[in-house]
Amino acid sequence: MTGEPVTLRVNGAERPVAAVAPWTTLLTVLRDEFGLTGAKRGCNQGVCGACTVTIDGEPVRSCLSLALNCADRDIVTVEGLVPAGAPAGALAPVQQALAEGNAVQCGFCTPGILISAHALLRRNAPLTVDEVRAGLSGNLCRCSGYKKIVEAVVSASEARP
Amino acid sequence: MEFVRPDSIEATVAALQADGAACLAGGATLVAMMNADLVAPHRLVSLRDVAALREAARQPDGTVVVGAMRRHRETAEETDLRDGQLVLSEAAAQIANPPVRNMGTIGGSCAFADPAADYPPALLAADARFSLIGAEGRRTVPAGDFFLDWYETALEPGELIESVVLPPAPARTVGSYTKLARVAGDFAIASVALVLGMDGRACIHLAVAVGACGPAPVRRRDVEADLIGGGLGDTEIRRLTDALAEAFDPVDDVRASADYRRRVAPRMVRQALVEAQQRISETP
Repeated sequence: MTGEPVTLRVNGAERPVAAVAPWTTLLTVLRDEFGLTGAKRGCNQGVCGACTVTIDGEPVRSCLSLALNCADRDIVTVEGLVPAGAPAGALAPVQQALAEGNAVQCGFCTPGILISAHALLRRNAPLTVDEVRAGLSGNLCRCSGYKKIVEAVVSASEARP
Repeated sequence: MEFVRPDSIEATVAALQADGAACLAGGATLVAMMNADLVAPHRLVSLRDVAALREAARQPDGTVVVGAMRRHRETAEETDLRDGQLVLSEAAAQIANPPVRNMGTIGGSCAFADPAADYPPALLAADARFSLIGAEGRRTVPAGDFFLDWYETALEPGELIESVVLPPAPARTVGSYTKLARVAGDFAIASVALVLGMDGRACIHLAVAVGACGPAPVRRRDVEADLIGGGLGDTEIRRLTDALAEAFDPVDDVRASADYRRRVAPRMVRQALVEAQQRISETP
């Protein structure tokens, strides 16, 4: 790859890349350079939400973020929802809720849904169905499994101490 | 392609003077177009480190200056906007979805000037103006002269939107933005932005702009001016919607037919004006 070097902070770790072209998106670097394939390339237009990650704590589209523009930012992907050092196979509460609620069908949209839901749950209050629907409105599920997804996120919001 | 990240407005303007230079604001539009191979700027000028562009401020007289890099989420929650200026925050809150609102900026959206976007009619109704800066210095362009045609604005090559300036709204005016879309967050089939002030039954401030019904948002200041001072009942609203409809130039697209837009937009204007009057009458 031609371009310039950049170091990205992903899931708490500084990760250098030797050369990134200006047009290369964060999504491409996450998947192709770092092997973090949780974020998916669906539409590559910012519409579908499958590539959603957080940057500085807020959910954004990694397909619309240029990698060179993400230096010095805190990037969290679905792989980073479980804190470092947790036992193998451990799940974040929102992941646990979706698994227990059978809220996964083909799974393509799930990483993006988890990131958006995780950001919603940080508000630390029980969420209504409408709030969850609005919060997840930027994440499309082509299996149309929304009902169980929304129920799982509502129940995760109610389960917190 | 080259990537630069200046940290001042002066350095940004200098970087924009090269042929094929383009501003990278939030990326929500430009990167989507790059991904689709529709554009390939020779030089990307990232605005992320230009702190002055990220601010919004309310001046003592009530004017609000919104920096070009303010994101839709910030504008949706902007506490500096009051009264009729709230038309802008209502519009911002209806753009796309939360992750896109965390990225997209008012400057980026307006520079792209999609006729079905939410800011153009809202800014027209708010009597906003654009502060532009280029190699020749600053200039101010009213919103009505900024949005020119399909994806075409008054921006010259090498120029940057520095801020969007909202004049103070008269006290007790209300601002509202109504969008008809296939699903929440889609581009508009038609949209109505209005700022309305009533003194009893008399209309004392009226600004109505319709989006997605032509290459640029449509407003009929001539008819608005005629209606000031009188009531705003069915007859008066009809005068305004007839005049607006004359100025519509909608197209058939994937969202709706031109004919549907011509039929639905006047009804949306009527409903928005009735609801705004109701809101005013219910405000103590």
